[in-house]
Amino acid sequence: MGSMKNLLQKQLKPLTVFAFIVFALSIPTYFLLVNWIWLKELDENNKLIAQRIENEFNEQHISEEKLAGSIAFWNDIQSVGKIEPVLKTFRKDSVYTIRKQNRYSKQEDIDQFRILITNVKINNGNFTLTIETNMEENEETVAYIAIVTLLFFLILVVGFWVLNKRLSQKLWQPFRNTLEKLKSFDLTTQQTVSFDKTDIEEFEELNQSLQKLIDKNISVYNQQKTFIENASHELQTPLAVLKSKMDLLLQNKNITNEQSEILSAIELPLARMTRINKNLLLLAKIENNQFADKENIEVTELINETLELLTDYISAKQITVNKNLAETLTLTCNKTLLEILISNLFINAIVHNVENGKINIDFSAKTLTVSNTGKTALDNKKIFDRFSVSSSKTANSGLGLAIVKEICNRYGWHINYSFENNFHSFSVQF
Amino acid sequence: MKILIVEDEKELAQDMEKYLSGENYVCEVAADFKQASEKISIYDYDCILLDLMLPNGSGLDLLELLKQQKKQDGVIIISAKNSIEDKVKGLQIGADDYLAKPFHLSELSARIHSLIRRKQFTGSNIIQQNEITIDLLGKTVKVNNLEINLTKKELDLLLFFIGNKNRVLSKGALAEHLSGDIADMFDNHDFIYAHIKNLKKKLTDAGYGNYIKTIYGTGYKWEV
Repeated sequence: MGSMKNLLQKQLKPLTVFAFIVFALSIPTYFLLVNWIWLKELDENNKLIAQRIENEFNEQHISEEKLAGSIAFWNDIQSVGKIEPVLKTFRKDSVYTIRKQNRYSKQEDIDQFRILITNVKINNGNFTLTIETNMEENEETVAYIAIVTLLFFLILVVGFWVLNKRLSQKLWQPFRNTLEKLKSFDLTTQQTVSFDKTDIEEFEELNQSLQKLIDKNISVYNQQKTFIENASHELQTPLAVLKSKMDLLLQNKNITNEQSEILSAIELPLARMTRINKNLLLLAKIENNQFADKENIEVTELINETLELLTDYISAKQITVNKNLAETLTLTCNKTLLEILISNLFINAIVHNVENGKINIDFSAKTLTVSNTGKTALDNKKIFDRFSVSSSKTANSGLGLAIVKEICNRYGWHINYSFENNFHSFSVQF
Repeated sequence: MKILIVEDEKELAQDMEKYLSGENYVCEVAADFKQASEKISIYDYDCILLDLMLPNGSGLDLLELLKQQKKQDGVIIISAKNSIEDKVKGLQIGADDYLAKPFHLSELSARIHSLIRRKQFTGSNIIQQNEITIDLLGKTVKVNNLEINLTKKELDLLLFFIGNKNRVLSKGALAEHLSGDIADMFDNHDFIYAHIKNLKKKLTDAGYGNYIKTIYGTGYKWEV
């Protein structure tokens, strides 16, 4: 789930990138615009100042000598401009921008100026007037614009995020409700899901489709279950007939040795078939919740009783049983189911054991662990599936562990399989 | 001894009839609810083998009928449904035993034997078989008045054999009788051999004839 993102994040990312590009492009645009307005205004301003200076000097009506002195004095005391006599007039005014060090500052302090050089006529003499006005440096303008733009960008992104979050909380609520219901849905309980009504068309459509799908699934599941139950019921009678025919046939006095070998060879698969059928029926019954009644059961007692029933099979294979039943636990559940669970685990440990093997039964901390000698580990994922470990050479029905699992599911117990030091180990945590 | 077999599966009814007929039993068959209720009302049986799922009715209703008529017939339910509710209900209404299909005919025979013995029980419950005397209440076995010590399983086996005289009993049937449903889960019932060997030895040591015969490949037989 590392690379998983929620819908909100997915939506926010491209929006943010797009907004970033737009804002980034806006920075030079604003700069050019501001700069253009700035220069236009400054040039106009410089021109006005030049006209005023020209007028002021002309209105003094002073002599040429005095004028030269006045101009020199004026040039000296102010920094706005400079008047210089020329012989020839320029064809055109000149405007440009320069950058220079501030004379009065000790540190490096570059200022930017807008310059106007224009022709003025004072007392019929030709002069050039140079006007310079301090303006904001380009980089400063860009920086200010960038800062403001960034600020707005941040406001926008945060706004997106907050809005999105609020909207999605509200908009996606029906979706989340649906999801919750789906998560809690369990086919085996056969309880259909009813989704909340919503006024959002897409979600309503989704709910309706899901409802249909679930109803269909439940119906198929039920059909399949009924089929299995009916099929195994129907098989009971022919199996009973076969079994009774076998019993009758055995009574025949003229059976040859060869025939009797065939007979006992038929008994094996017949017993296996009976077993499979019985277990299928049992599974169907557990699924149909036909073992609903509960009582208080002392588990240790039941473990000992079950072991007692299996003594013959254990000693026939010369298996050593080590018991460690430290726990005293009373469970409230169906007795038949618990009996089946425990005996299936034990039977499994006997059938899949080796001659002179071992079975360890440990019951402590609410956990029953049954382990037996074995050779190779089994597939943990498949081991509880129906018929997954079925093989013709062993006596299993391929359903024993599936039944154990089903019973565990019913009561919310945890079952675990592991293989260590040549021991298969099944543990049920009650 | 009269036995009524209430079973709609013809083959199965025939097999039961055939197997039981050799044991001093007279068997009648009823294939549906109507036939069965008629026979039950008219005659008395020592034992009724009752299938629960019948054409036009349920075996449980027949049980009710027996109860209403205050009949003392012994009833063994034989059912393919093998549901606990049916079993509990049947036993509550008055059935004496419950046997789930599919079953071994030998098991059925042993159950009938035991049921009839219980029904006829008057004061003492003793089985006499040739030189052997079994006191079921005291759980003691005597051969020629000499008490022998049998384990519970050996006694079970002995009673099973006596309930199936002159019948070949497969190892599977013997194992099922001893271990019940659990025997279904195993293919190998060789442990039977050890129990029978011990039983044979204890009986012959006490001077009992060698009545338990091994039948090649299939099982054992109590021959008298």
